[in-house]
Amino acid sequence: MNILTRLQLFFQITGHYASYFLAYIFETIFFLIFVVIALIAMIYIFRKYMARLQLRIGPNRVGKFGLLQLIADALKLVGKESIIPKLRDDFAYKAAPYIVFIGLVVGFVLIPYGSFYWIGSLTITHSNVSLILFFGAIAMMPIGEVLAGISSHNKYAVIGAFRGIAKDVSFEVPMMISAVALVMMDSALSRTPLNFETLVSTQFIPFGILQPLGLFVFMVAMIARSSYTPFDLAESDSEIVSGYSTEYSGMRFGLFYMGMFGSIFLGSLVVSLLYLGGFNGPYSSYAGFVYLLIKGLILVLISFLIWLSMPRIRVDRFINFGWKILLPISIINLIWAGFLTLGVIS
Amino acid sequence: MAEWTEVNFGPQHPSMHGVLRLRVKLDGEIVKEVEPIIGYLHRNAEKIGELQFYCDNMIYFDRMDYVAAMNMEVGYLEAAEKLLDIEVPERAQWIRVMMAELNRIASHLVWLGAFGLDLGMLTPFFYCFKEREKILKIFTEVSGSRQQLNYMSIGGVYQDVTDEALDHIRTFIKEFPKELNKIESLFVKNDVFISRTKGIGVLSKEMAIDYGVTGPMLRASGVEYDVRKAQPYLVYDKVNFDIPVSFKGDNLARFLVRVEEMRQSIKIIDQTVQKLPAGPYFNQKAKKPLMIRLRGQGEVYARTESPKGEFGVYLIGDGSLRPYRVRVRSPTFKNLSVLPALAKDQMIADLISIGGSIDLVFGEVDR
Repeated sequence: MNILTRLQLFFQITGHYASYFLAYIFETIFFLIFVVIALIAMIYIFRKYMARLQLRIGPNRVGKFGLLQLIADALKLVGKESIIPKLRDDFAYKAAPYIVFIGLVVGFVLIPYGSFYWIGSLTITHSNVSLILFFGAIAMMPIGEVLAGISSHNKYAVIGAFRGIAKDVSFEVPMMISAVALVMMDSALSRTPLNFETLVSTQFIPFGILQPLGLFVFMVAMIARSSYTPFDLAESDSEIVSGYSTEYSGMRFGLFYMGMFGSIFLGSLVVSLLYLGGFNGPYSSYAGFVYLLIKGLILVLISFLIWLSMPRIRVDRFINFGWKILLPISIINLIWAGFLTLGVIS
Repeated sequence: MAEWTEVNFGPQHPSMHGVLRLRVKLDGEIVKEVEPIIGYLHRNAEKIGELQFYCDNMIYFDRMDYVAAMNMEVGYLEAAEKLLDIEVPERAQWIRVMMAELNRIASHLVWLGAFGLDLGMLTPFFYCFKEREKILKIFTEVSGSRQQLNYMSIGGVYQDVTDEALDHIRTFIKEFPKELNKIESLFVKNDVFISRTKGIGVLSKEMAIDYGVTGPMLRASGVEYDVRKAQPYLVYDKVNFDIPVSFKGDNLARFLVRVEEMRQSIKIIDQTVQKLPAGPYFNQKAKKPLMIRLRGQGEVYARTESPKGEFGVYLIGDGSLRPYRVRVRSPTFKNLSVLPALAKDQMIADLISIGGSIDLVFGEVDR
């Protein structure tokens, strides 16, 4: 029994269709609250971790241990005047942050979360092709960034947007190929290889052990997707001011900021789902969510360490890296996955 | 001909050092033309220098290269004392060398942190500033302030170095090399850092000499020239140290030369602490009230090695209480002039890293 059926039973007095409708709405609200809390917690952890690494103290004034600092910051961002440039493509300029944010939220909706204690399965969307839907959803986010860069009519922003395009093109192809390798292996094990949940639950041995190259490619792609320091080409603050988000302020900027941190979290969850066994483990029907969260958090901390210790890679070197290193590796990984699949079938 | 995008980098750009403004023409990501525009921090220090007593000029020199104020003071005093014909007691000379070398380390640490920021590394900046803080604490102890020190004065130094301060300097030079190794390994062991610096912004030996580049930039291009060795002033001829030289001339070489220079500075400070003689720390002839009555006649040019390069001060005295002309040869200004040539046909990212490797301090360029 999952959270959706529980909610539907609760609303049963309203009738069959209305109860499903209400259940979906409430589930989404619960889920959004979860995402926001997780993001706030993650940004808090990031700040404390960064401060510890940089010999500072970090937030410690608002609330106990500075726990409310992020809420104060969010309120400040909401309350700030949104300064918008005069020469802009109005619709694209205003829509861009929402496209990024919606892509992120839909990505969160589509991944499975395992089950937890009495609540049962926490997965929100049950679809047989959720893997494809997921990649579609997160492919929306670069579109928002590029739109933001082009529509604000700022030279820095345009350079940032073009860098963003170059970056996205060069890492998404290897990422998709390594995902194809996963689906190939899974197709030998289950009937619905494109379903996220079966993809996870068929991992008796985590795919990361079977396909270490795939794990590497996917992890790098996820780092590049969330665009922090080694690959923050599109918004590199020491070169092109703030890249595509130069002309954004107030809550619109806040959405980009959330999109960035959210995609770190999302990427870590997806890597741990696809390659590290996700919510599999002893008593996974009770504590699967906890396994997932712990694996995700470890990956998040590794990402932060990379972020804080690496210089920025140059854009041409990144494109070389994407096409000349990541792509061959992912193809080798695909061939290797083919051999593994043959082994499983025979 | 392709159309080039014209972009301004600075003076409010987040990564420009101080108030440098670069008018850059871009062909996509490639930099086609760079034109540095300076003068945003011009404070007329040279003209002001002509309007006041010789001893008052010190504070304006402090504010030139504000991250290496001690070296600026040494530079000015070398010229002023030669013009006014004032002898500096032995102890004061050793103290000056000690302070100048401490400040050289502080200046290089600021550069190191800022260079990391230019490349997108946040963390080493804080490690560098933690070490610099220790030096500033020593400065606070000896002079009373952190950055605009006004510590040295004509004929000596403002106050003596106490034993306590010497103890702190001893502990600093004992601990610092280890910390420096840590900081250096943060950079050098990082592959991406090497890829961003190795072979980038290569300044050839001939070009460096033609442009009048001095300091660590010149030594990174393979010229073994250091005023401390070539024309020793103060007591630099009595201390033992090496000049680090690299023949590569790229960003990495400049990085390594500066790091090695910090190690040599530690070596010099160690010797000054050991050999510091007893005696007066200022010349009685230039005592406090008498100081403003000093009259200078003739013209002098004195050059010293500041952390950025050869810092020259040219003074003309006409026999009155005030100098007739003050002129400064600012090393950063000359070093900056090489940026357009180095950054041509490079990527934007390299323009920023080359600019960072020059070690720009705008108080000195604009004066």
